[in-house]
Amino acid sequence: MIKRSFFTLTKPGFSYDPIEPDLDKPESIPVPDNLILLLNEPVNHAKQSLIKKGAFVKKGEKLCLYSESTEYVISPVAGSISDIDIFLDALGNTSTYLVIKKDQNKNTDTITYNLKNDITSADKYLRTLPGAPPFKSLASKDNKINTIVITCTDTDLLETTSQYVASQFPTEIKQGAQILKKLTRVSRVCVTIPKGSKIKAGFDTMQVLETSIKYPSNLPAMILKDHLNIILPAGQTPEDVGVCFISAEAVCSLGKAYGTKTANFEKHLTIIGKNGKRHRVTASIGTSLSKIFKVFNIQINDDDRIIIGGPMHGSATYTLHHPVQPDMNTIMIQDKAVIQQISDSACINCGRCVQICPANIPVNILVRYLEADQYEDAADKYDLESCIECGLCAYVCTAKIPLFQHIKLGKHELATLKASSEELETANE
Amino acid sequence: MNNYKLTVSHAPFWHDGDSIFKMNLNILIALLPAVIFGIIQFGAPAVGVLALSLSSAMVWEFTMNIISKDKIRIGDLDSAVIGLLFGMMLPATSPWWLVITGTFVAVVIGKIIFGGLGANPFNPALVGMAFLMLSWKTFFDFDSAYINYDFNFTALAPLAALKFQGVSGIDGLFSANGLLMGKQIGAIGSTFGLGLIIGGIYLILRGYTRWEITVSFIAGIIFAAWCFNLADPEKYAGPMIHILSGYTLLGAFFLSTENSSSPVNTIPMLLYGFFIGVMIILMRNIGAYADGTVLAILLFNLVNPLIDSIRPKALGKGIDHA
Repeated sequence: MIKRSFFTLTKPGFSYDPIEPDLDKPESIPVPDNLILLLNEPVNHAKQSLIKKGAFVKKGEKLCLYSESTEYVISPVAGSISDIDIFLDALGNTSTYLVIKKDQNKNTDTITYNLKNDITSADKYLRTLPGAPPFKSLASKDNKINTIVITCTDTDLLETTSQYVASQFPTEIKQGAQILKKLTRVSRVCVTIPKGSKIKAGFDTMQVLETSIKYPSNLPAMILKDHLNIILPAGQTPEDVGVCFISAEAVCSLGKAYGTKTANFEKHLTIIGKNGKRHRVTASIGTSLSKIFKVFNIQINDDDRIIIGGPMHGSATYTLHHPVQPDMNTIMIQDKAVIQQISDSACINCGRCVQICPANIPVNILVRYLEADQYEDAADKYDLESCIECGLCAYVCTAKIPLFQHIKLGKHELATLKASSEELETANE
Repeated sequence: MNNYKLTVSHAPFWHDGDSIFKMNLNILIALLPAVIFGIIQFGAPAVGVLALSLSSAMVWEFTMNIISKDKIRIGDLDSAVIGLLFGMMLPATSPWWLVITGTFVAVVIGKIIFGGLGANPFNPALVGMAFLMLSWKTFFDFDSAYINYDFNFTALAPLAALKFQGVSGIDGLFSANGLLMGKQIGAIGSTFGLGLIIGGIYLILRGYTRWEITVSFIAGIIFAAWCFNLADPEKYAGPMIHILSGYTLLGAFFLSTENSSSPVNTIPMLLYGFFIGVMIILMRNIGAYADGTVLAILLFNLVNPLIDSIRPKALGKGIDHA
């Protein structure tokens, strides 16, 4: 953990971690007997589910809960479904937790897909490729995507997975980018590279955006602002302004998938242990985190924290049986001794959050509105929706207020409010 | 594998390790040079006033926490800072009841009834101070307060002398060097200019006070005093004596920079500091008070929310939605 320096006349600055010069070969985690898949749709007991306990699934089979479902997962192994449960995320959204028991004796051939040269066909089968390609928004008719940005940069501190993939598989990424161009018919494809990185050499055919190594310049809103001259309007997503971000690993696995007409499941991960040591790992999607920890002899005790993502804007999980997900790049383990307590103290108005905020949000006033549940005023007057979610405000907060949590909750509640008022309007019409 | 109870919380998972306690502890440390000098200068009565002020401020907060069934918050040292700053603004000869009444007004009326830490619109120590100055004016006549003391320098409060005797009356009595080294009489913690400057710069370097306020505060004093001095050098003194006497340095480094009652955006901080400086000189040169620091800062505490609304546009706000 980076501590406050003794002299702090200037605001603290963080740098993204560059990739190590001498790369270790990734440790390959064997596919475990039980794989866990998270399906982003809750079970509805009123309806007849297509997924049944005990049913046999093939490797590469697409699993949907209901016939009209748009959400799906792909089974990474051949086996049988041994459990169906519900899974709650941090914001209380439910998804379905599927456990698949690997069956060695069954046919292990992977299903091949009928992939055509359009984005709808990719969206139909390849959404859960390692790297979680955003085919859903690319295929959506609502967005007019005119620029695709391939990110070979990591968005959080300590993370190096994207840089690693970019440096190891430049040819695959280039192939993938060609296919992506063909599928989406988007002519402008850019690639982000950390400034001063050696990865650059591989990508001279695309427009290279060299991002600063200063945090948070790799976050989408900052890349839009610094390199594409687009100021993201408050409350909108990059897709709303026609830019789609796709991770290097997603492009890489897209290239592979179109080559073999099958899905692949090998996800690259970085494990950061309690002592800060990095382990590079490849594991099948659906592998339980506990299996990975076992390989590296990482002992987890009560009150430790397992963070999916980096220290600034990752998320903590409550279970060791959290599966490896397509969009999971980093897993960080914190010992309970280094976990800083947050407090219920009021804002003391020291102004350090205001100084450090890259989006110029008056966080000191905003938090007062959020604490009083005044979400609409917070958005209208004090720029709640301008937040780019970098987490720096809560990092420097002298009063140790969980500012980022307040903001995230505020955005969530605001979205709920907006949705319900829209519903009311349509009902009135 | 066993099911462990993991810690789950929201990002970020790092913190710079700072806390309100550490911040206030640093403010107390920064005040020490001036406090120690004050004790050497004014002797045991000064220790009594400072100790009573600091402890009574904490007791008031403790009492109010108990009465309002709130969490006991004296551990964050905020009321200790209020108490010490308050004691430093008193003459060493203040009677005990004056100190206790003052800290009551400072902590209870200045801070707690507005909602406690971070919610006070005025600097609590100054609220208590203004209350005492308006109610028991005679105790703040520093010249009569130290009548029984025997100093080896000009035993005059510079600002009062300036007010009542004019520039010619103090001619040659106060040198910049002497004022910096505390060769003046005044409140316990306000006479040792060098100590206050060192403490203040320490806080700025540690990032606990915002330098913009202090710098523009001093610039405001220099600018206004210089203008007056240019207009009529016979009647109005130059910037030097204004900066190094009275509560000016205490105000510039410790009072006007109180977190809750001062702005946080750059331009408002500069305006806020500058206008306090100008207002102090206006009060001293034209107004009825010998030292206007307390009221000038309180006045601009009042304007703070208004000027702090001058702020940069947030990302993605106020642009055309094409």
